[in-house]
This record gives sequence, C-alpha cells and structure tokens, in this order.
Amino acid sequence: MSPYDVIVLGGGVNGTGTARDLAQRGLSVLLLEKADLACGASGANSGMIHGGIRYMLSDRHVTELACRDSGYIQRIAPHLLFRIPFLMPFTSRGEEATLVERATWYATEVYVGTYDQYQPLKRGKPSTRLSAEELYRLEPALRPGLAGAVTFDEWGIDSHRLCVLNALSARAHGAQVRTWTEARELITEGGRVAGVRYRDALTGEVGEARAAVVFNATGAWSPALARRNGLRVPMRPGKGVHLTLDRRFSNYGITCTAVDGRQMFLMPHENDSIIGTTDDDYYGDPDDLEATYDEVEYLLEGVESLVPGVRRARVTRAWWGLRTTLYEYGRNEDALSREHEIIDHAAEGAGGLLSIVGGKLASYRAQSEEAADAIVARLGRAAPRSRTHEEPLPGGGHVPDPAGLAAAFGVAAPVAARIVYRHGARAEGVLRLAAEDPRLKLVVCREEGVLAAEVVFCVRHELVRRLQDLRRRCRIGVGACGGLDCARPAAQLAARELGWSADQTRAELADLLELGWRERRVVLDGHQLAQEELLRGAHQGVGRL
Amino acid sequence: MTLRADVLVVGGGMAGAMAALAARAAQARVVLVRRAPAATALSSGAIGIAPDLWAAPEEPFAARLGTAAAARRLAATRPDHPYAVVGASLERLEEAMRFAAGELAPVLAPPGDRPLFLATPYGAVSVCAVAQRTMLAGDLATARGPIAVVGFRGHLGFDARLVAGGLARHAAAGAPEAIAVEVDLFMREEQSLARPHELARALDAPHGAEHAGEVLRRALPAGAGVALLPPVLGLDPASLAAERLSRAAGLPVAETLSDVPSVPGWRLQAAIDARLAASGVEVISAEVEGDGPGCPARAGELEIEAPRWVLATGRFVGGGIVRRGRLVEPLLGLPVTASEGGASGIHLAPRPSATLTARERRAPQPLLAAGVRVDRALRPLGADGRPVHPGLFAAGAVVGGHEAAADGTGMGVAILTGFLAGRAAAEAP
Repeated sequence: MSPYDVIVLGGGVNGTGTARDLAQRGLSVLLLEKADLACGASGANSGMIHGGIRYMLSDRHVTELACRDSGYIQRIAPHLLFRIPFLMPFTSRGEEATLVERATWYATEVYVGTYDQYQPLKRGKPSTRLSAEELYRLEPALRPGLAGAVTFDEWGIDSHRLCVLNALSARAHGAQVRTWTEARELITEGGRVAGVRYRDALTGEVGEARAAVVFNATGAWSPALARRNGLRVPMRPGKGVHLTLDRRFSNYGITCTAVDGRQMFLMPHENDSIIGTTDDDYYGDPDDLEATYDEVEYLLEGVESLVPGVRRARVTRAWWGLRTTLYEYGRNEDALSREHEIIDHAAEGAGGLLSIVGGKLASYRAQSEEAADAIVARLGRAAPRSRTHEEPLPGGGHVPDPAGLAAAFGVAAPVAARIVYRHGARAEGVLRLAAEDPRLKLVVCREEGVLAAEVVFCVRHELVRRLQDLRRRCRIGVGACGGLDCARPAAQLAARELGWSADQTRAELADLLELGWRERRVVLDGHQLAQEELLRGAHQGVGRL
Repeated sequence: MTLRADVLVVGGGMAGAMAALAARAAQARVVLVRRAPAATALSSGAIGIAPDLWAAPEEPFAARLGTAAAARRLAATRPDHPYAVVGASLERLEEAMRFAAGELAPVLAPPGDRPLFLATPYGAVSVCAVAQRTMLAGDLATARGPIAVVGFRGHLGFDARLVAGGLARHAAAGAPEAIAVEVDLFMREEQSLARPHELARALDAPHGAEHAGEVLRRALPAGAGVALLPPVLGLDPASLAAERLSRAAGLPVAETLSDVPSVPGWRLQAAIDARLAASGVEVISAEVEGDGPGCPARAGELEIEAPRWVLATGRFVGGGIVRRGRLVEPLLGLPVTASEGGASGIHLAPRPSATLTARERRAPQPLLAAGVRVDRALRPLGADGRPVHPGLFAAGAVVGGHEAAADGTGMGVAILTGFLAGRAAAEAP
C-alpha cells in the first residue's frame, strides 16, 4: 500500500480537525481512532464553546483565541450552536450591602465587562446587570436573598456532532477515516517515525500504514502511547464529571460556587440540563473511569446552594472524561493553564512524530490549523493555507427552517427542529429517507426527537460501525428513557443496514446497555429508580441481555 | 362516609388483586384502594414464577426443573427471598398459581405440569409457569416446528429475523426450527406508525383478525407448524382476536412476550380490574393515607375502617418503595431493608445508590431488591424485628429480597404472597 502524507491518531476534535485541515490542503491522510469519534474529552466536555472567561486574568491569550475561534465555528456550523445566556448571581448577607460586597459586585461587573470586549468575536451579547427583582423574574427557582446578577453569553454545542462533521469533511476531501482501529505500535526506521501498525478491533484485521509524519492527537491516551515508545508527552489528566437532568430545570445558565469555592454551573442544554463540573488529577487507566458518589454529591450540593429545588430533580446520568491539561508541577488543577502545545518529538530522537497536548474545545480549529501548519512544514511540501474557517462543515451551508420541513415532510415540528439541529442543511436528506419509506417516520426517541430515518441516515453516512456509536451521532440511549424506547428499535435498524446476525445484534445491545448502566448506577434516586426497574424488566427480564 | 370491611388491600396490581380475591373467596368483606395501573400493566404479559436458573443453555427444555422444584431450590439458596421466608407455605405455590389462573381465566391459561418456554422480541427465551392463552401455542418445548416468526412489514417495532435468529441458539435445547417471514399487514397510505396498541385494536375490530389470518395463510410457507406473531393479539379478550386469526390462517397462532409498551401487560391488568369489579371486592380509585390497621384510612372523600390491611403497593414503579436520598416506605413509614456486599439490614437504607449496586450490570442488584422485611406469615417487621401490627400484611414487590428482572420470579412472588396474605388476612381473628 502506498504511503500517506500524514497519519493522524485520535478521533477527537484535534484529530478530526487536523485531518480535515490537511485533507482540505490536498494531503493524503489516514485517521485512526481506537474506539469511536469523540469517545474522549471531545465527548465528555461541558458542551459549550466556552469563551473561557475564567482564564481572562491568568491566560488572556486563551480567552481571546477561544472567543475568536468560536466565531469561526459559528460560521462553519451555524446549526450546531445555540445561545446559553448565563447569570452570575450576587449573594448578599443583609438588606444593605456592605462595602466589601459592593466592591465585589463592582469588580465582577468590571471583570465581566472586560470579557465583553471579546464577545463580538463570538457574536455574544454584552453583559448586563440585573437587579434582584429582574433576577427573580427571570429565574424564580433561585434561593431568596440574592441581590442581583451579572449576565454573560455562552454558546452551547454538541461536541460529538462537531467531531463527526470534521471527520466527514476530511473524508470528503479524500482522507481515510477508520474507527475502532487502534494504532498498536509506531514503526521507526533510521531514527524516524515512519508509520504505525494497527488493528481493527471489530474484524481483527492487522496492518501497517506508512507516512512521513504521524500526528498524535490521542488526548488522555497520548502519555501512554508516548511512554510505550520511550517518549514523553507532558500531561496532567484532569477528570471532569457532569450530571444530566431530565428536563430544562432553569431558564438560563447559572454559575454557582461549590463547597470548596470552585465555580461550577447549572445550565439548559438542548432538551435537558447539565450540571458541571469537577477537576481532579487522574492517575488511572483512561479506559477505566467512573463517576463516584462523592463527585455526584459535590455537584448537587454546589447547585443546591443557589437552586434548592435541584434535590428534587431527576438526574438521568452522570458522565465523565479526562482533560488533556498541559503538565505543570505545583499548581492546583483549576489553576493550570489551558494553553495548548504542539510537541515535536524530533528533540527526543523520534523525528516525524508530533503530539498535541492541552487546549480548549472552543479553539480546536485554530489548534488544528497550527498543527497542520507544523505538519506541512515538517513534510517540506508546498501546500495552501488553511481554509477551515471558511468552508462550511457538512450541513453548515445554511440552516433550514424546521417548521417548513415539518410541514413538507409531515413530521412533528419538534422532531424537525432536532434533526435540523443535528444535521443542518443535511436535514432534508434525513427526511427524504422517511418520504421514500414511510415506515421510517417511526419516532424512536420521543425525548430527543429521533426518527427511524435519522438512525438509518447516521448508520449509512456517518461512520457508524457499532450500536453505541449512535449514542454520539443521534443521542440513542442517552435520554431519560435510558434506552427503554430506543435501544431495541435502533439495534434492529442498524442490524438491517450493517448485516448483523441475531447474535451480533444482541451483543451490540448488551454493549449499549453496559454503557448506560455505568452512567446511571451512581445517580439512581427518585423517579430514575422507577425507570431503572422498567429498564431491567425489559432488557434483562424480557431481553435476557 | 365510612366504609367498614374485614380487609383493606392497598395496591391494584397482581399482588393486591390476588390478596383481595383470595380474601374474598374466604368470605371476607374486602376493600381495595389503588391510585393507578400497576407495574403489571407494563409486564411481559406472562407469569415467571421460578425458572430453572441452574440449567445449562443447551440442557433440553424437557429435562429442566419444574416450577415447584425450582422454587424450592431457589428458597434453599436465597434465604432472603420471599419463597424462603414463607417457609412451609411455599408448598401452596401450585395452589396459588391455579387460583390466579382461575380468577383470570379469560386471559390466563390453566398451568400445566411443565413450565412454558416462550420467545421474546429480543430473540430470547423466557421461562413462564403461567401464560396467557394467546401465548400457549408458542411454547418452544411443545410447539410443532417449523415455527414461522411473522413480522408485519409496516411495524418496525418487531423484527422477525432477530427473533428467529435468536431462537436458533436454543435448538440444542429442543426449540424447533424457526424461520422469519414478513407479511404486508397494516400498511396504510399515509404510513405505518402503528404502535402496538393500534395494531391490537385493528385485530380486535370485526374482520380485522380474519383479514390478517387470510394474509398469513397465503404468506406462510407450507408445513409451518405455528405462527409466532408480535405481542399485539388484541386488547379486548372478549374479541377472541387470536382464535379468529388462527382459524383464518389455518394453523396455531401465538404472540411473543412483550417489552414496554405492553399490550399483553395491559390486557392482564384489564383482566384483573374486570375480575375485581365482578367479584364483590369494593374497588376505590384514590390515593390512600393512614397509619395502619386499627386506625381509619382516608381515600379521597372516604374513610375506610378495616382490622386487617394488606400492603401491596409495589416497589419503585408502583411507588411502594421510594428513594429520596434514602430508601423509605412512604405510606406507613415501615423500615426498608437493603443489602450491600454480603450484609443486609435496615441500617443500609440510607446508603448511597452506588454501594447498593454492583458494577456488573447483569449481577443481582441489591438496590432493586430493597423492600420491607416480613415474617413467615407475611407481616412486615419493625425496627425491633417484630411484626408492626398483627393485622398488617405485605405482598408483592414491596416485600424485599427479590428482584424480578434478575430472578425471573416477579409475578410468582406477587401471586404466592398475595394469595397467602389475602387468606391470612381473611382468616385472622
């Protein structure tokens, strides 16, 4: 097999973003991802292209880059972003604010007001100051005794979809993208990295691929990959846990202070709410991660301090991942820099290997551009400059009107809205499947608005090899139903498309259910327990899975 | 207005119904209060009582333990399971099964000597001691092969190839050959979004089942022994949809078990409601409040006085046990027993969910088996380990020590404990 120009390892935002950039410039690219796209930090983050207001004092460059580049993301994937206005409430200990309290409010306003200078970069609205009366009118669930709030703007995103779209774009520009295929070893020749040996986990196929440059974007797995080859990637993996509630619990994002003084949040996100997050050094196996009771309690307690009713909310799952934070000894996790760094291992005697560490979701595109520039330079080739900020991602060309599509195709308006959110201009392609085969209008998930047609579309066109991939493509099994409504129908549809036997279909279902169980186990309470009883009755009692 | 009765039953699922009907059959005056359809309405539709959990997958169906033997073995290995807790009363299991089938005769077939091995939409096989009449012909241990698993092309909720392919794994155990067939039924112009209950109503309708049977007759391969259909064979037992279908198709017809939403489960709940109404049990649809026998209970506008109560309020789905930060029994405040590791006790009720569950999904999950502890006579025990009240009984999923999904004994516990508790409540002095 002829060599590639570049082999990219890792199917997160950096891997898919860089593969897209390189392929768009005309280079031949192979991307290998050992599991599915966005299985690491790119699928476990807070779901915001976060302007990074937090880093403004220590890391202003990070804030500026994040805001600027999220403006580009809006341009290339307008359908995938939604506004999340945030409230930062002020507490007050008495009727009359003390001098210290008033100074704190003023300082916060100045701080957030300074952040405003970056808002135009990402088309955010400038911050405002709310009185107590205005605050409670907007957000009645807040506890009494608050004196007002400052608002600021963030953008929400489905980061799994972002990775998929980047991968599809890379493929459209000629890249080869292989999921569930692990790079087992680097091939070195004459002191340079010359390629990788890989193994396809689903078929068992082993093979070799050669390239002059290998780009290691394996995130939390990159220190281990480096170590296996006698190299070093300086990373301090930071575990972050989030909770999902079954519905929109607040009207706006609300910043809260946790018991240890850390800033955290409750926010509406797509059809539900997210509470996040934690940040703790992690030394274990990235493949063996779970949320603990302590982390769940920490998050609920933090939100409860401002929104007491959250204890009555139904938590449907906990989820988690590892930040790829740049290594530094002696600082608290929260205080670590969110800068990214592209490491050339030539200094360690492994020319041809580059790694990326750190960074933020919001600046993935800029990070990918920088990586692609570095790779092109290593290749010594002439290649055009990056255009990833100009060319829309698949479906990003225009945002169709969901109401129009609903009427034209005879589907419910909320369902059309969800399909437009996930697929943008490609929503019509999804709905056309239902027009051609009316059976595919079956609603497979009422909560997430998923039609059988969308499942089929994702399986056919979006690099789906396993049932669990659909969690990341179209939210199968991650809603409040835990798969009670959607798991078996989705498995049946995927089986028909991919030619699975009955045994394989059952095995894929069992795999999907395992993932769901791990997420639900630590948050079982209240109504969620009733759901669990139904789930076990259906999947174990009737399914014998 | 005050109602006076001998026995007050709280909860209208299988356990509560068995308790009420058993007490009524013993000449007691019975009031049953229920606030909603029970988990029974979401059940598979058949009754798992005691599967042979120790058989190897290839062990022939005919060689597996019968229900009574399996129940005894389960009791011997699981001292906390209600089958063990009731002690010698376990011998009345078959009597309880026959009683249940008799009371729900329009829907349930009388139990035979052997358990039934019934297919599910997941391509799995479930062991049931009692099943609905509409399921009998699908017993893999006795069905004449080959089995034609029938999918309706318009109904994506049932995949005949998944079912037939899954049954192939049980060939060594004696399951007949199964072939998948797709027929053009219930395809309408606008589309076929037919949900299970819509399909069931279409079969109930005059000529609906006959038309479907005709289509089957033409579509099925010659020599097919049985047609196995999705679990949608009518909502109204009086319509005899399965019989009409079978007659028109010219061969025995059966439906599989169901997951959620469940037409057979709904049918079972409806049969329970009908039998209760006809039996002389006073059924009140309301939420009940009260402190136990000896004090009047309030249900809506009514006061109910009864010296004996049967608590059959279910577990998490029914709301008989809830977890709000800790496990509680919300109606009477009875202590709830949970298990963690090898230990068990009411002191574990406040433990976090993560410690009351096992990492391995398929393992028994103590949190899902939490409930009220009872004595041999099915009287709930207080913190001191003694019956809270001589006239208070509990039955069904509110009783701890069993997890329906993992054990396969859910309805069995409901029927046995409901029957025993009802008899005990009627006969108590």
